[in-house]
Amino acid sequence: MSQVCLDQVTKSFGSVAVIPPLDLVIADKEFVVLVGPSGCGKTTTLRMIAGLEQATSGEIRIGERDVTTLRPGLRNCSMVFQNYALYPHMTVAENIGYGMKVRGTPKEDINAAVANAARILNLGAYLNRKPSALSGGQRQRVAIGRAIVRQPDVFLFDEPLSNLDAKLRIEMRTEIKLLHRRLQTTIVYVTHDQVEAMTMADRVVVMNQGRIEQAADPITLYESPKNLFVAAFIGAPSMNFVEGRLEADGGGGGVVFRADGDVPITVPARMVKHLSAGIGQAVVLGIRPEHTMTADPAFPTIRVHVADIEPLGPHTLAIGKAGASAFTAQIHAASRVRPEDTIQIPIDPEKMHFFLKSTGEALRLDC
Amino acid sequence: MSVRDLKGSGRWWALAGCLLWLAFTFFPLYWVAITSFKSPLGVVGGPTYIPFVDFDPTLTAWSELLSGARGQFYNTFIASTIIGLSASVLATFIGSMAAYALVRFTFEVKLLSGVIFVVVAFGGYLLGRHVLGYGQAISLIFAFVAALALAIGSSRMKLPGPLLGNDDIVFWFVSQRMFPPIVAAFALFLMYTEMGKLGFKLVDTYTGLTFAYVAFSLPIVIWLMRDFFAALPVEVEEAAMVDNVPSWRIFFGIVLPMSKPGLIATFMITLAFVWNEFLFALFLTSSKWQTLPILVAGQNSQRGDEWWSISAAALVAIIPMVVMAGILSRLMRSGLLLGAIK
Repeated sequence: MSQVCLDQVTKSFGSVAVIPPLDLVIADKEFVVLVGPSGCGKTTTLRMIAGLEQATSGEIRIGERDVTTLRPGLRNCSMVFQNYALYPHMTVAENIGYGMKVRGTPKEDINAAVANAARILNLGAYLNRKPSALSGGQRQRVAIGRAIVRQPDVFLFDEPLSNLDAKLRIEMRTEIKLLHRRLQTTIVYVTHDQVEAMTMADRVVVMNQGRIEQAADPITLYESPKNLFVAAFIGAPSMNFVEGRLEADGGGGGVVFRADGDVPITVPARMVKHLSAGIGQAVVLGIRPEHTMTADPAFPTIRVHVADIEPLGPHTLAIGKAGASAFTAQIHAASRVRPEDTIQIPIDPEKMHFFLKSTGEALRLDC
Repeated sequence: MSVRDLKGSGRWWALAGCLLWLAFTFFPLYWVAITSFKSPLGVVGGPTYIPFVDFDPTLTAWSELLSGARGQFYNTFIASTIIGLSASVLATFIGSMAAYALVRFTFEVKLLSGVIFVVVAFGGYLLGRHVLGYGQAISLIFAFVAALALAIGSSRMKLPGPLLGNDDIVFWFVSQRMFPPIVAAFALFLMYTEMGKLGFKLVDTYTGLTFAYVAFSLPIVIWLMRDFFAALPVEVEEAAMVDNVPSWRIFFGIVLPMSKPGLIATFMITLAFVWNEFLFALFLTSSKWQTLPILVAGQNSQRGDEWWSISAAALVAIIPMVVMAGILSRLMRSGLLLGAIK
C-alpha cells in the first residue's frame, strides 16, 4: 500500500502563506495530476511530498509511514524534474544506476536494473552516451529511467513534459500512461497544462492560490465544474461566461435566464429544481464553445458580435462579444461568417452551467 | 560584428593593430629573456635588442643562478613548488566546501554573538596577559577558545539584535582581503614567534607558510566558487537528494565534477597568488622555506642592480606558471554542464 495522505498541511515562506491547510488523499496506484495556474502551489505541494520543502504544519503520510519530517532520501519517492536534472558528467547507464551504486547494490543487480529500465524506455542504444549527446525527449526518458530503478512507493513528476516540443509531448504523454499501467505505482504529476491533466489522470486536482478547487476524474471536471475557476480552467478554448439574472417565469414554475439586452433563455425543466437558490439573483451562465454548434430550431440563441475568425479545419471558432462578455463560439467550417458580422449563436440548453455571481459556486452540482 | 566579417583593407588594419598590441605585450618578456643572456657590460652599455647582431649572448647569468652562486636556487624552487601546490590545493578544497555551504544552506549568525566573540577575545587576552600574568601565546589561545565557545553557545540562544545571513558571512570573508596585507603579516609574524617560544616552530617552516597562504587565499576561493556553485542547477542536487544520496557524496560525486572548470580556474588563480606572494614569504621565512619571489628580489639588493641575473631568476619564476596555465586551460573549457538541464 502506498497511498499518499496530506492532512491539514500548510506551507509558509516567511510570513507569506502559500498553502492554507490542505487535505488530499491519493489512493494506492492512482495517477493524480495537480493542475493550476503558475503560483497556485501545485509544485510546492509536490515538493512537500518529496521532502524538498518542509511542511510548516500538518502531516504527510506515505502508506502507513509518517514522513512529515523525514529527509527526502528516506521517503522512497522518485522525482522527475521539468529540466531533467541529469548528472552531466555521467553516461546514461551511470545516471540511471547512480542511486543504486551509492546504496551499495551489487554490480550485477545494477546492470540488470539499468538494462531493464533501458528496455522499457527504449534507451538501449544510448547507454554509453553522455546526456549532452541526447535529445530532449531522450534526456527526459533517462530521468524517468533513473526514477524507475529506485522502485519507489510514489513517482513524483514536476512538469516533466513542459520543455519538450508539442509532438514529443503527446508521445511522452502516452508513454508515461503506459508506464503507469505497467508499473502499477502511485503517481503524482504536476502540470499547468490542462490538456495534459485531462488526458493522463485518473483524478485531476485543480488548485488555485494554494487551495483545492475541485478534485475529480476528468469527465466530471468537464461536465460539472464546481465553480467558475474550474469551469474556466478546464477545457480549451475555455468556457464562455455571460452575466445575467435568473428569474421565475410567470406561474408555470419555469425559470428564465435574462442577460442584459438579450432575449431571455428558458432553462430546461430538468435543471430548474437545482437552480432554486439562484432565482432572483445575479448569476453567470457558462456555455462551452463546443456546445454552440447544433442549430436546433428549439434552441435559444444569443447574439454575438464577431471580432475574429479562427478556421481550425474540422470547425471554425468565431471570437467576439455577447453583450459585454467575451464569447467564443464554435461554428461550422463551411460557414461564411466574417469579422464585424453579428450572428445568432444557438446554445444547447442541456449543456448550460449556472454559477452564482457572488460566490462563483456552481448551481447544478449533482447533474 | 566580428573581426572576421571585415573586408578588404579594414581586415589588414585590424590585423596590424592586433600585431602591434601583441608586440607591445610581448616586449617586456622578450626584454627579460635577452637581458638574461647579456653580459654585465652588455647591460650597462646602452640598449641592444637582437642577439648575435647587437650583442654576443652569454650564459654567465644562467650558470651563476643554476650553480647556486646566487642563493640556494634549487632549494627555493622546490620550496616554492611544494608550498604553492599544497597551499592552493588545500585552499581550493576547503574554500569550495565553505562556498557550497554558503550557497546551499541558510546560516543565521546573531550580531550579538559576533560582538561577544570580539569582546571576549580581546578582553580575555588583555586579562590573561596583564592581570593574570600568562605569556602572550597562552593568553591568546585561551582567549580565542573561550571567545569561540561563548560565541557558538550564545548563537543558539535567543538574543536580541540583528541577524546576519549568508551574504554577510561572505562579505566578512572578503573583507579580510580589504586591509593591506602588511597589517596581518606583521601580526602573524609576532604570533608565529610566540608559538615558536611554546615549542611549535612556525616561522620558516612548511606548516607556517602554507597555513598563512591557505588562510589568505580562502576569501578569494570562497568568493569565486560561490558564484560557480550558485550557477549550478539545484535540481540536479535535489534529484540526488530524493535518490537518497548522502550530502557528502552529492558534493564530491556530483557538485565538484560539475564545477570542474570553476575549480581549476580558482586553483590557478590561487596558485598564481601564492607563487607570486612576496610579503608573507619575506616575514615568515628566513632560509629553508624561502620562495622564488624572495630570491628574485634578492638579486637586486645583494650586489646592486644586476639586471642580467634578476632577468634569469624572473624567467625561472615565470615559466612554471605559463606551463601550468597552458596545461590547465585545456581542462577549463566550458560546456561541462551541457545535458544536465534543458
